Amino acid sequence: MKLSKYTKFRQEKFGGVLFETRSEKVFSLNPTAAAVVSAIGSGDDERSIIERLKTRFDDRDGAIEREAIEFIAELRQKGLIED
Amino acid sequence: MSGTQTSAAAAAGAGAEIPAAVATGSGDLGAPLYVAWQLTNECNLACLHCIEESGPGKAFRDELGRVEAFCVVDQLAAQSVPYLSLSGGEPMVHPFFFELVERICASGAELKIETNGHFLEPSTCDRLRSLGVKAVQVSLDGASRETYNRMRVRGDFDRAVSGIRALAAAGVPIEINYSPTRFNAHEIGAAIDLACELGAYSFYTGRTMYTGNAVKTWRAIAPEEEQYASFFEVLRAKSVEYRGRMRVYFHELGLLEELRYRLRHPAALLIVLPNGLVKLINALPFVCGDLRTQSLEEVWSNFQRAWHDPRVAQFVEDLAEDPRKTAALHQWVRLS
Repeated sequence: MKLSKYTKFRQEKFGGVLFETRSEKVFSLNPTAAAVVSAIGSGDDERSIIERLKTRFDDRDGAIEREAIEFIAELRQKGLIED
Repeated sequence: MSGTQTSAAAAAGAGAEIPAAVATGSGDLGAPLYVAWQLTNECNLACLHCIEESGPGKAFRDELGRVEAFCVVDQLAAQSVPYLSLSGGEPMVHPFFFELVERICASGAELKIETNGHFLEPSTCDRLRSLGVKAVQVSLDGASRETYNRMRVRGDFDRAVSGIRALAAAGVPIEINYSPTRFNAHEIGAAIDLACELGAYSFYTGRTMYTGNAVKTWRAIAPEEEQYASFFEVLRAKSVEYRGRMRVYFHELGLLEELRYRLRHPAALLIVLPNGLVKLINALPFVCGDLRTQSLEEVWSNFQRAWHDPRVAQFVEDLAEDPRKTAALHQWVRLS
């Protein structure tokens, strides 16, 4: 899993921005989403990204895991990441 | 340089279209997302509708030198600016155009070249492809030799089309830009068809602006409102017709509405002039910094403040009274 060819990511104080330069769409991300995209940019696979987030954000009720799965699916559906 | 009021406007009001998105404005960002760099004011053509004051022999005397330009590129890379465009004038006549392209692409930023397409030989296109240019946007203001050559003085429709074909053969993504005038507006449908046939993935247009060289030719070129009505009607239909094959992107808003929106939501976009001065937006005369003497960080900070300068809002409101104030956009007003 990686960012698609024309997608750029940059960390920001509020989290991060994802810029799809072909369609020129910009997405501002909260810290959790930015952590997911940053990990994708580093070449991590989906399962290990989710496991790391669960630890980092103390995911006792499973909400982080659900949100991360949903977010990654959305990124894939929008063509912002590819496998 | 084309004559429409914005090209790839995107540059960044932030979009909250995915669940984890948060609402932000350019003021929340640590650096610009998009830098539109007018590399030179020199151009091989003397287009009637040009929104700059470009043309043969029109390079500024104080355009950035090689080392200064490289310094700008390096600062953009250090701040992780993800997207740049090079325009002019005609950027491909610039003496170290390819060196800059190479440096920008090597920095990891995505780069778009905005050109009139007259220097796109097959070997040049291969080189752009191998350097990793994201896209080349070619101005093609007409679907026929007659209209194109009338608008683009010294220009050659066949040469531009041949350049676009060379891009396609080399595998370089193609965008087409179209500036409407009273004598080419009726060709918009055929121009969109031609763009798709030539392999473009995006087509941009909007209202032609009353500024730059267009001020002198306005009586001859300005479309009537009825022409604009038909023009946008065709665009709406074509955007549906080409959905999934080519993006037809157009700005129907007038300049005043666009600027009022930008006052509330400045794009994370810096316009860099050939001499290193930085404008707030192309359609305003205000300069918020100088990359020859100031760091990008400083200029970005000035940019944030400058949008709140009362002179900016006043200029926009004055436009409501006198739309012809855009004639003075090249008489820069420094805010810093």
